[in-house]
Amino acid sequence: MKQTTKTSYHIPVGPIHPALKEPVFFEFEIDGERIVDVNVKLGHVHRGIEWASRKRNPIQILYLAERICGICSYCHPAAFALAVEDAADIQVPERAEYLRVIQGELERICSHILWAGVAAHEIGFDTVLYLTWQMREKALDLTEYLTGNRVTKAIIMIGGIRRDITKDMLPKIQDALKYFKDNFEKIRHIFLDDKTVMMRSQGCGILTKDDALKLCAVGPTTRASGVKKDVRVDQSYFAYGDLDIDCMTPDKLTGEVNGDVYDRIIQRLLEVKQSIDLIEQCVDRMPAGDIVSEPKIAKLLAQLKRVNGEGVGRHEAPRGEVIHYVKFDGENESPYTWKVRAPTYNNILPWIPMLKGEQIADIPIVAASTDPCMSCTNRVAITLGSKKYEMDKEELHRLSVEKTRRLMK
Amino acid sequence: MAKGLTKSFKKALWVYHCNSGSCNGCDIEIIAALCPRYDVERFGIRLVGSPRHADVLLITGPVTRQMEDKVKRIYEQMPDPKAVICIGNCGNTGDVFYESYNLVGPVDNILPVDMHVIGCPPRPEAIILAVAKAWVKLETLEA
Amino acid sequence: MTKNLTPEEIVKYFKDEFKTEIKDAKIKRRAAGSKKNEKATIWMKVDKIVFKKVIKHLLDLQFPHLSIISGNDLNETIELIYHFTVNYGNRLSEITFNISIDLPKSKPEIETICDYIPGALITEREKQEFLGVKIKGIPDDKRLFLRDDFPEGVYPWRRDETGPEKLYRNLHEVNK
Repeated sequence: MKQTTKTSYHIPVGPIHPALKEPVFFEFEIDGERIVDVNVKLGHVHRGIEWASRKRNPIQILYLAERICGICSYCHPAAFALAVEDAADIQVPERAEYLRVIQGELERICSHILWAGVAAHEIGFDTVLYLTWQMREKALDLTEYLTGNRVTKAIIMIGGIRRDITKDMLPKIQDALKYFKDNFEKIRHIFLDDKTVMMRSQGCGILTKDDALKLCAVGPTTRASGVKKDVRVDQSYFAYGDLDIDCMTPDKLTGEVNGDVYDRIIQRLLEVKQSIDLIEQCVDRMPAGDIVSEPKIAKLLAQLKRVNGEGVGRHEAPRGEVIHYVKFDGENESPYTWKVRAPTYNNILPWIPMLKGEQIADIPIVAASTDPCMSCTNRVAITLGSKKYEMDKEELHRLSVEKTRRLMK
Repeated sequence: MAKGLTKSFKKALWVYHCNSGSCNGCDIEIIAALCPRYDVERFGIRLVGSPRHADVLLITGPVTRQMEDKVKRIYEQMPDPKAVICIGNCGNTGDVFYESYNLVGPVDNILPVDMHVIGCPPRPEAIILAVAKAWVKLETLEA
Repeated sequence: MTKNLTPEEIVKYFKDEFKTEIKDAKIKRRAAGSKKNEKATIWMKVDKIVFKKVIKHLLDLQFPHLSIISGNDLNETIELIYHFTVNYGNRLSEITFNISIDLPKSKPEIETICDYIPGALITEREKQEFLGVKIKGIPDDKRLFLRDDFPEGVYPWRRDETGPEKLYRNLHEVNK
């Protein structure tokens, strides 16, 4: 009898349609339906942003930072502003600190609702995608009302914020918040009580607390594994030090932490609720006063040009901690070094323990559960011996949908 | 809708979306155009998952070195007649990424672009208008 | 999880342990909001000989969260800054802990810390590509961000002749 040796398949996934700063190319080693090993390659959207900063002044960099990621277009310039304020020792007016929190939490609501839609799409629930994105449009309307833009907000300024929220704007904010609260229950019911969603997400893509710590995961990904790590709670920046805020973990709702996809869904829903609460607190407690420490830009730039030192700015973005490092040399207008770290950067390594042992059909939902842009999974080619099959995102998505249908029977 | 489009559209238009290194801003606006508020599916415009099924290529981003050959391959895989729409300032001119060591764009350098949509990011209305104009081109080519 | 140390206690702990190998240590505090709660940042410069031991001692305090390693090209030397956070999980008591080391440009080499903190892999690979620092003992030294045919010996974050200026392109130029 001819002896057969067991060989594993290699599946490259990506990178067409990469998104975020970190688009991803995966190579999966597959044994039958099970994933044995994962290899990641990044950099398809490497635009050399940090290098480009050498020729620009800090105000110009704000715009550059905004375009690192279109979904986190508030948190990158916010972290940059924090880093510059740290280096130059600029004190931000109190009112601006509260306004910054409102903008930050509004972005979190937008981002988490967007994510909920994408996650639903990945398991074949397109109706929910449309439902959540309809909610998101309401959040975008509010963003547009407060900042003037839908996506790139251009709202933050070094030493403050650009637009104030006046008294006559409050009713619209309250209306929108009421709308979110009313619809929140609907979304919660769809995600947490639905039998099919539970079957697809419970016990799938587990990240243990130990792995989350060791692999330096950040944001909802690490909190869903039970690590209490939230920059808003741990550090006093913006007005978060004044507000009542508690670190959310999924055990607040279910009493236990499993670190699976289901927990990451719960985590994000809890955070949406928390964000609504934080905005309400800010609106109530906002003190009167200036919104920017130095309104004259030329004067601000002259002040920054004399700065010789370094600073770190950290902010809790929707996807996790974002950190910017800035160094000024006191001679040039542009910073000597600018280093950006987006949250997904740290959430890539945790994918490996999450995906190992899962099925091919689970790739979309597991990868989406850390909230990268799942569009990366656009093209899959299966290499079997010398033959090569190609599998695109549609097919991968179809596999995922079929698994849902099978479970529903 | 765009001028020159026949009253009853001859066919549904399928679009494929390719991100060549953009920030995601344009990409979410494309998805927003598909969702209930703008709902382009009622015109038969649909986002498809493979370039082989598509009539129109929506391309965003300033094209990084890694993506150059992939973008070309996607274009070649699309059946004729086809139209290319470049969405967002960075794909059209480079915008804030106007100089870099890792960019080969703008998209004009790599693909023949039919429609340029300006904005950072453009509003969904602008994207829909560009797709409708591409429709005119395709219908003219077929006639 | 061990005791919650104040920034002063942390600096003292390292100074007692490593004496003169700690070249510089300063604590920066900044207040924010109406209640003026403070956040603390420690900047510490250590000799590269004891670097690995410093990380080992840091691990004894609490498992630190490594945010990122950033780097500066300071003409004669390359400075690497390891941004850690400690004391997380406690309301308003997290400390940003920055440990920096200087590497001579003639021999920019440093040991990996992946054996202590596996999550450092991506950022260490990034430093190899972008600053030309050799990380000794790194489990995987393939390229991560740059294309495989990106020229060897070009390091985008360097400010000397190995910088990316040769590859620089202005997208506004019309090459027709």
